[in-house]
Amino acid sequence: MPVRMGIFLCDCGGSLKNIDFPKVRENLENLEDIAFVDITHNLCLEEGEKAITSRILTENINRVVIAACSPEFRERNFGELLEKLRLNPGLLSLANIREQCSWAHEGDVTRKALELIMMAVGKARLLQPVERKEVAVNNEVLVVGGGFCGMKSSLELSQLGIRTTLVEREPTLGGKLKKLEGFYSSQIEAMIKAIEKAENIEILTSAEVTGVEGKIGDFKVRIRRGTKEILRSFGAIVFATGYKTEVAAGDFPLKPGVNIISQERLVQLLQAPTLEARPETIGFIFDLSDENPRFPTLATLNNALAVKQRWGSEVYVFCKNVKVDSEGVEKLYREAREDGVMFLKFDKNPKISADDGRVKIDAEDTLLGEEIVLTCDLVVAEEKLLPAEGTEGLSSLLKIRTDSQGFYQEENVHLYPVSSERKGIFFVGNCRGDLDLGRVLADISSVVAKVYELLPPGKVIVEAERVKADPQKCVACLTCIRVCPHRAVQLVQVDSEKVVAEISQLACDKCGICAAICPAKAIKFEGYSDDQILAQIEAIGVS
Amino acid sequence: MNGEIIAFCCEHSAYAAADVVGKQGLHYPEKLRVIRVPCAGRVDIIHMLKALEEGAAAVLVLGCEDGLCQHLTGNVRAKERVKYSETLLTEVGIDGGRVGMFNLAANAPHKFIKIINEVNDRIKERERENDSR
Amino acid sequence: MIVAERKPIEEILQMIAPYKKVLLAGCGTCVTICWTGGEKEVGILASQLRLARGKEGDKADTVEATVERQCEKEMVEELRDKVDGVEAVLSLACGAGIQTIAEVFEDKPVFPAVNTTFLGSPEGEGVWLENCGACGDCFLDRTGGICPMVRCAKGILNGPCGGTRKGGKCEIDPDKDCGWVLIYRRLEKQGRLDLMRKYYPPKNFRVVKRPGKMQAIKA
Repeated sequence: MPVRMGIFLCDCGGSLKNIDFPKVRENLENLEDIAFVDITHNLCLEEGEKAITSRILTENINRVVIAACSPEFRERNFGELLEKLRLNPGLLSLANIREQCSWAHEGDVTRKALELIMMAVGKARLLQPVERKEVAVNNEVLVVGGGFCGMKSSLELSQLGIRTTLVEREPTLGGKLKKLEGFYSSQIEAMIKAIEKAENIEILTSAEVTGVEGKIGDFKVRIRRGTKEILRSFGAIVFATGYKTEVAAGDFPLKPGVNIISQERLVQLLQAPTLEARPETIGFIFDLSDENPRFPTLATLNNALAVKQRWGSEVYVFCKNVKVDSEGVEKLYREAREDGVMFLKFDKNPKISADDGRVKIDAEDTLLGEEIVLTCDLVVAEEKLLPAEGTEGLSSLLKIRTDSQGFYQEENVHLYPVSSERKGIFFVGNCRGDLDLGRVLADISSVVAKVYELLPPGKVIVEAERVKADPQKCVACLTCIRVCPHRAVQLVQVDSEKVVAEISQLACDKCGICAAICPAKAIKFEGYSDDQILAQIEAIGVS
Repeated sequence: MNGEIIAFCCEHSAYAAADVVGKQGLHYPEKLRVIRVPCAGRVDIIHMLKALEEGAAAVLVLGCEDGLCQHLTGNVRAKERVKYSETLLTEVGIDGGRVGMFNLAANAPHKFIKIINEVNDRIKERERENDSR
Repeated sequence: MIVAERKPIEEILQMIAPYKKVLLAGCGTCVTICWTGGEKEVGILASQLRLARGKEGDKADTVEATVERQCEKEMVEELRDKVDGVEAVLSLACGAGIQTIAEVFEDKPVFPAVNTTFLGSPEGEGVWLENCGACGDCFLDRTGGICPMVRCAKGILNGPCGGTRKGGKCEIDPDKDCGWVLIYRRLEKQGRLDLMRKYYPPKNFRVVKRPGKMQAIKA
């Protein structure tokens, strides 16, 4: 079918005065395949929509070029309008004659405007329609990790009507926070009850994920439970595998042992039914390294209060600063001080030494300006936050990246903090680094919303072949499969002999890296194909 | 073409930055022609070479800052390809400085202007050198 | 897989200097996979040649075409129309492909744009490593699937030589792994270290007569 193009020029309410619109129209009208060139004043308003509508309904055009403001806003709107008018939005080509032309230069920019439009025309001639199609997706979600984050995510997903399977490798749910006294453990108990009650949450304890294949909407997961291996299908996977702590032993001249213990060990002692010798003086230390002290701060305040309430010992906290920027921490700090916990702030790291079976801390208090020497029965040491055991194994199983410390790597720290680079695989909680409760809760809501958006009940509409590998040209060199940052390409069998690459339209994020790198030029990225890019290049200077 | 500067601009960074430049009423040389791409990683060697064949004064690839590419490796790959294109040009006696890769974020309109102006200055300098020969 | 590398550009330019209109012929098999002579690379080389010749005011006219396998006469035959319209052919295929094109189009000068270097497998992104020497007398059964003729710098059959550097690196080239360390580790994993105690006589390099010829079973 021969190309018949309609061109709309928008002068933005007459304000783009440095473009001679009639001259531009005159130049364009002469071209062979142009059906009409209209100058309009406000394509973004109702009058503009009417202008486009009436032309498209009466003229028999199969390509549309719109020269107006930036496509960053308009591409979607105009595309939707075309779709309403039964014209495939893939046949639309835009020229930015406002932000990147009229507004960006002094003086008359008619020539540049015309060239930008010619670039859009050249591309439009080669555009092909991109059909949408419905794909059935599995919208069940797998949550890995039955701690606070995993449980909260499951509950929120379940409330939206999404069937969730919660996998936990320990025999019981609850995770680390269940073991902490007070503030958290009661919440955890309530959550466990809620999950057990929920009809659409399946709980699999003593279970581990051993294999994941497939892509968003269709992940095939192998779960091992005891000696049995279960194969299940999910639409999305949420990792809430948490963290572990390690005493930052390198900072201490003394090894952790009987008198220098971790927060976790302290909690064990606090919860033990009997205690041999109640420690009379306990020192907490953190802030020795430059690590973010948010987690140690919270643990210290929480446990210091517990020590006071349970043992009544003298409690001293040595730190540089008490960081109270997380929710609830300011309150804890005040409570701790009211209960008699003493806070000593240092600038230079204190010296720690053994002293006749006890531990001596030698610090310079910044407020008093004096040296303080304290001998404690027990010192609770600074801890490092590390990814939980098995994080590395899981991440290589799923082919997602981890950062330099081993935590899961976010797709983009600022914009997409809960997504991995594979569509449909998310992570929440401390498995992606040191977070506070407020952030974690926000992340959970964010993941739940994303899952709901990506996998609505029923079917999902995708572009059928926006990026496609031509099975005739593909030589199965595996380059695109290896290179795709979103793991959206798989090898499939097309006939009895040939295997070729197939790009999943649901998982594809339309970056075009595969199209650029394919050594056989087998991948066509509609809208940004080589021809379509070349047409834009060739249109420059031809005016 | 007549000495234009072609800039392949990633829609997440440079293209958005260029829009901000316009919105703020700031200016840059008129000879710039922007080609929008979904990621710097879409741009390949052949695009740059063909642009030069057509007569562009310079071909630029503008993508996201290091470590911030939404597609993880797009900007890194683009840089490698620009480097390789430089080699191909130098091999045949063409100034490798006529292709270049730059990184910026969407909220950096001044960086956008600075890049275009610097490239333009280099082009003018080269023209002066050629004229004086 | 056959791996080839593009020749230095000066060599290529010199080869085609006397010819105005040239066909750049790519191959869709091995050289595509090793990113040397597929449709994409044909396009890049053609563009580079046009830029090179255009600089001297000498217009180069290039035609580009890629066939599925350049070592098959029937597939190369598809290029006949294009070949008729040019003065010379610049092939980016391996030596087998270049010679096939040269044989099918006997009256046209055919030039190699690449050097065919080795048989190998991908080691990492964009990296291919030689692992087979095409000796015609494969003895990978005794070496745990690792060929010492190629992976060992000295090509010894009853290794190691005793000069292995720390970290299992080769005495001659510290960037290379010692082939025999690799073989040892592989056989160890399989519990077949006894193979290393056997002595193997020198290879018979006359097994493959040049040019090699293989007759498959008549079917």
